[in-house]
Amino acid sequence: MISSTIFIHPATWFLMGAVLLPFLNKRPGLKKGVLIAVPLIAFTVIHWLPDSFGQVSYMGFDLVFGRVDQLTRVFLHVFTVMAIIGCIYGLHVKETGQHIAAFLYVAGSLGVTLCGDYLTLFIFWELMAFASTFLVWYRKKRRSIEAGYRYLLVHTAGGLVLLGGIFLRYKNIHDLSFVQIAANGATFADYLIMIGFMLNAAVPPIHAWLPDAYPEASVTGAVFMCAFTTKTAVYVLARGFPGFEALAILGAIMTVYGVGYAAIENDARRILAYHIVSQVGYMVCGVGIGTAMAVNGAISHAYAHIIYKALLFMGVGAVLEMTGKSKLNELGGLYKQMPLAMIFTVIGGISISGFPFTSGFISKSMIIAAAGESHRIGLLLMMTLAAVGTFLSVGIKLPYFIWFGKDSGVRAKDAPWNMNLAMAIAAFLCFFIGIYPEYLYKMLPFPVNYHPYTAYHLSETLQILGFTGLGFYLMVKKLKPEPKINLDVDWFYRKGARVFMVFASRPVLSSDGWVNDVYRRIGFRLTMALAKAISWFDWEGIDWTIDGSARGVVECGNRVRSLMTGKIQHYIGGAIALTFIILIIVMLV
Amino acid sequence: MLLRILNYLNEHSRMLKRLFFAFLALTVVFDFYAARHAPHFFGDSIIGFWAVFGVLGCLGMIVVWKGLSHVWLAKEEDYYDK
Repeated sequence: MISSTIFIHPATWFLMGAVLLPFLNKRPGLKKGVLIAVPLIAFTVIHWLPDSFGQVSYMGFDLVFGRVDQLTRVFLHVFTVMAIIGCIYGLHVKETGQHIAAFLYVAGSLGVTLCGDYLTLFIFWELMAFASTFLVWYRKKRRSIEAGYRYLLVHTAGGLVLLGGIFLRYKNIHDLSFVQIAANGATFADYLIMIGFMLNAAVPPIHAWLPDAYPEASVTGAVFMCAFTTKTAVYVLARGFPGFEALAILGAIMTVYGVGYAAIENDARRILAYHIVSQVGYMVCGVGIGTAMAVNGAISHAYAHIIYKALLFMGVGAVLEMTGKSKLNELGGLYKQMPLAMIFTVIGGISISGFPFTSGFISKSMIIAAAGESHRIGLLLMMTLAAVGTFLSVGIKLPYFIWFGKDSGVRAKDAPWNMNLAMAIAAFLCFFIGIYPEYLYKMLPFPVNYHPYTAYHLSETLQILGFTGLGFYLMVKKLKPEPKINLDVDWFYRKGARVFMVFASRPVLSSDGWVNDVYRRIGFRLTMALAKAISWFDWEGIDWTIDGSARGVVECGNRVRSLMTGKIQHYIGGAIALTFIILIIVMLV
Repeated sequence: MLLRILNYLNEHSRMLKRLFFAFLALTVVFDFYAARHAPHFFGDSIIGFWAVFGVLGCLGMIVVWKGLSHVWLAKEEDYYDK
C-alpha cells in the first residue's frame, strides 16, 4: 500500500529527478525534458492528493508524510508553479549539480508542507538547508563559498534550536503531531520551535543570513532560494503559531527594517534580499494578528510574493548573467540593450509595490486591512510606511539605476529565450492574480469577504504610490548608489569569530595556577574543541583571504573551482543516497 | 518597437514630468469622491492623508536611513576581508 502512495507525494518526483539527472549528462535534450517534466508532474499530482497518506509507524513514532488541507494545497500550488518557472529559467545551466541541488531543495520544501509531524518536518527542513547551500556555492566565487558556509552554520544552529524544541515538546506531552499551538498555552518548548521557524522566516535579529547569502548565490539558485525557504517558514508559522503577539509586532518591525536597508544598499540582489525580509514581515505580521482575514492575507501574500519576487530576482539575475554586474553604481542606461529584462523587472517592481491590477494590490492590502479591522493602527501604519519604502527602492530606484540614470557604458544583449519565457510566465501571473483575485482567494483556507477594488482603496494606493514617486523625484541625487556595504547583525558572528579565536588561545596559556586541576582539564578540552570548530570555519572563511592574497586571486579562484566541483558531486551523491535510504527505510519498514 | 517607445519617452521627459504632476493632482481630486466605508482610524477620513503620508514617509525614510548609513552602517566593500 505504501509503495503505491509514495508516488502521490510530489517530493518523490523531485527526488527521483535528482537521482536521474547525473546519468543524463551526455543527453542534454533528455536532461531538459526531465527538468521540465518533473515540476509539471508534481504540479499535476498535487491536484489528486487524498486528505491523508503515507502514515508510517517507525520506532514507536507516528510519522505522517501526507496531511492535506486547504492550507497545504495553496502552498503546494504555488511551490510547484514556482518550480516550473525556476526550472525553465535555469534550463540553460549546464552544471547538473545545480539542478540536483534545486530539485532536492524543492523536495524538502514540499516535504515540509505536506508533513504532519515534527520529525518528518525536521528531516525535510534540514534537506532544504543543506541543498540550498549548494545553490550558494555554485556561484563559485570566493565570497559565495564563505557566505555558503555562514549560511549553513546559521541554519544548522537554527535547526538545532528547532530540534531542541521538538524533543522538549515530546518530553512534555508525548506527541509529535504538527498542529496549531494555542497562543495562551504555549510552553518554552513551543517557543523554541517558533524561534527555529522564525530563523528561516528571517525575522530580525536572526535574519542576517538572508541578505548575506542570497546575493552571493548563483543566478538561478537565487531565484529558487527567494521562493522556498522563507515561504516554507511562513507556512509552518501559519500552521503552528497563528495569533502569537510576538509575531505580529516583529513582523511589522521586519517590514520597515527590510525596506530601510534596501534604501541604502548598492547591490541589486542585496536590495531584493532585504525586500524579502520586508515582504515576509507582512506575512509574519498577518499570522501574528491571527484573525481569519489576516491569515488569509498572509497566505495570499505568500502566494503573490513568491511569483513577483522570483520575477525580480530573474530580471536582475538576467542582468547579472549578461553583464556580470549587479551593483547599481556599476550599472545604468541599459534600457537600449536589455529592454525585455527591464519590462519584466518593472512588472515585478509594480507588483511588489501593490499597483492596482497587480498581485501585490490584492494580497498586501488584505493584511493591512486586517490590521485595521483588529484596531492595530500601529501595525497598519508601519506596514503602510514599508509599502512606501518598497515602491521607493524596488519600484523606482532599482530599475532607474539599472536601466536609466547615467549610462555606464556596459554593453549587453537580452537574456536567452528560456530566461525570458520564465519571466514572461511570472509577469503574466502577476497581472492574472491582480485582475482576477478570485483565482487566488478561492484557494485560501478561510472564506474571503474582502474586496480589494473599492474606490477608497484605489484612492489610497494611488496617492501613496504617486507621492512616493514625488519623494524620489525630489531626492534622486541623495539616492545615488555608492560602492559600500552596510553593517547588519551578521557583524557579530563575522567579526566575532575572530575575537573568539583570540579569546580561545589566551585561556590556554594563562589558566595555570588559579584554576583547579579538574576544571582546567575540562575547560581546556572544551576550549580546544570550540577553537578547533572555529578554526575550521576560520580556515574556510577568513584565512582564505589572507593566504589567498599571496597566491593571487585568479589562481585561487581556479583552485576553488576545481576543488569544489570535484567535491560537490561527492557531497550531493552522498546526500541523495542518504536521503533515499532514509526515505525507503521509513516508507517500507 | 519597444525600443522606439522607450527612446521617445526618454526624449520627451518634460512631457512625462507634466503628466506625472497632473496625475498627482488627480489622485488628490479623486480622494474627494472616494466613498469611505468603515474607516479604520482618523487618517482614513482626512482628504489627502495618504498623499501627505506618502511624500513625508518617503522623504523621512530616505533621510533617516541614508543618515544611519552615513554615520554608522556604511563600510568599505572589503570591510569583512580585512
